[in-house]
Amino acid sequence: MSAVRAQGLVKAYGRKRALDGLSLTAGTGVTGLLGPNGAGKTTLLRTVATVLAPDEGQLRLLGRDTSDPKERVEIRRRLGYLPQEPGFHRSFSTFEMVDYVAVLKEQTERRARHDEVRRVLELVGLQDVSSKKVRALSGGMRRRLGLAQALLGEPELLVLDEPTAGLDPEQRMRFRDLMSRAGEDRAVLLSTHQTEDVAALCSSVVVVDRGRTLFTGTVPSLVAVAAGRVWVDEVRDASALAGWRLGSGLFHHVGNPPSGAQLVDATLEDAYLLLLGGQPAPVAA
Amino acid sequence: MSSTWHLEEDVLDRYVGGIAPPALAASVEAHVVGCATCRERLVPAVEPPRLDRVWEEVLERVDAPAPGPVERLLLRLGVRDDTARLLAATPSLRGAWFLSLLAVLGLALLSAHATDRGVVVFLALAPLLPVAGVAMSYSPLTDPVHELATAAPYSSLRLLVVRSAAVLTATVLLAGAAAMLLPGASWLAVAWLLPALALTAGTLALSTWFEPLHSALGLATLWLAVTAPAFAPGSDPLLVVRSGAQLVCLAVLVVALGTVAVRRDAFSLSRGRSV
Repeated sequence: MSAVRAQGLVKAYGRKRALDGLSLTAGTGVTGLLGPNGAGKTTLLRTVATVLAPDEGQLRLLGRDTSDPKERVEIRRRLGYLPQEPGFHRSFSTFEMVDYVAVLKEQTERRARHDEVRRVLELVGLQDVSSKKVRALSGGMRRRLGLAQALLGEPELLVLDEPTAGLDPEQRMRFRDLMSRAGEDRAVLLSTHQTEDVAALCSSVVVVDRGRTLFTGTVPSLVAVAAGRVWVDEVRDASALAGWRLGSGLFHHVGNPPSGAQLVDATLEDAYLLLLGGQPAPVAA
Repeated sequence: MSSTWHLEEDVLDRYVGGIAPPALAASVEAHVVGCATCRERLVPAVEPPRLDRVWEEVLERVDAPAPGPVERLLLRLGVRDDTARLLAATPSLRGAWFLSLLAVLGLALLSAHATDRGVVVFLALAPLLPVAGVAMSYSPLTDPVHELATAAPYSSLRLLVVRSAAVLTATVLLAGAAAMLLPGASWLAVAWLLPALALTAGTLALSTWFEPLHSALGLATLWLAVTAPAFAPGSDPLLVVRSGAQLVCLAVLVVALGTVAVRRDAFSLSRGRSV
């Protein structure tokens, strides 16, 4: 059974279709969602978090149908969600804020709930600021607070919208560790702009653009898309789809290499650029 | 520091088993603080899970936050602690909200005493106060945790009802107290109540289609349009609270509550873009 099974999802805002017949499956492990701004990633994740209902299409989560109100509650009991910009009650302390979400997650017994709040705060390293007001926390701490509430009750499906945005490298490492641990025995679906995040921790990757799925597969199979299509040269090649000057002074190119070009190993980023470059809006060289 | 006597085996067993009476347990604890020998006998005998439980108990006492003023009041009134926490986050149960409420009521009372038709100002404004409070308590525009609350299993309808009830109670008590100070007939003190309930329920019903604050704004505009003629010289200033109007309000209340019941699933989803 796949944790996430979406088929032909459509979600329109006025005339704009944020999701345009998007299909996706994701199982145990970390699935990374890559795509440019406005590709529909956030709409997709809000839909998978059961916050939005799709206009068309079918979405089954953890074997249940999201369109049925009763099954939706069942799904929500086993779901953890980090919105792109999670709001908090700023006059609450860190502890109270997580405790508040724990109540919404139906943890009614006070002692057990408080123990669970302490557990997730410790997981993200916020136990020392648990009595600090949310408004006094730094941006990175608030990201961690967001992740802490998502981890409440050890959900079987974690939906994380850009969990690593705005974090410094050390905090990112910590987040990767937490998310990869979570992905060992459950499904984690996360969106990111960082191809390094995907390469570092995702067992599968989905590329979306304009509300549709461009690619689904493993990280190596996405990298393979760019095999033989990445080269370096001493001068800039204007025919390349994308190119930039490396620190070494050489120019890194992605696209259709000229004959005799000096090919180099492709990265996930190269493959991502190539995939998006197949669209009418090419990445500027 | 050493001791000349040591705990008897059977006392130790009872303490470890957690069956020593409080007085005995206290004297065992007083003794082991000063006696290394008994401490060494005691420590390995206690089961680790029990130690963990004790430690958690200590953490809970030291670490659990002291609830804020709203929560303390609710707890004293007998509200369950998880419900109190949900209510404490309501924007329209905060100090700033009550201050603005008092300001509006004060002004309305002043105008009621200042002029002949001033009472219309009070009767027009008082029913709108709970409407604003209730709409604010669950609008995505004013509740920063709305997105998380929607994705959580806790029933959105229940959250709505709990919060609306709390806001209604607080607002109606305040406005009711102010209404006692109105000049004129004594029935005026309660005349605004049914319009208030009808408008609040109407806002909830409309919120199953539209954004709550927009719904509230729409109904408030309608209500003010209906009450406006009462300001005109020669008209009946109390037209909107006479028995005919009260009947209309009762009908609206019933229809609105029915609509909420039928369309309750609409509350369990977000309406559109994130805010």
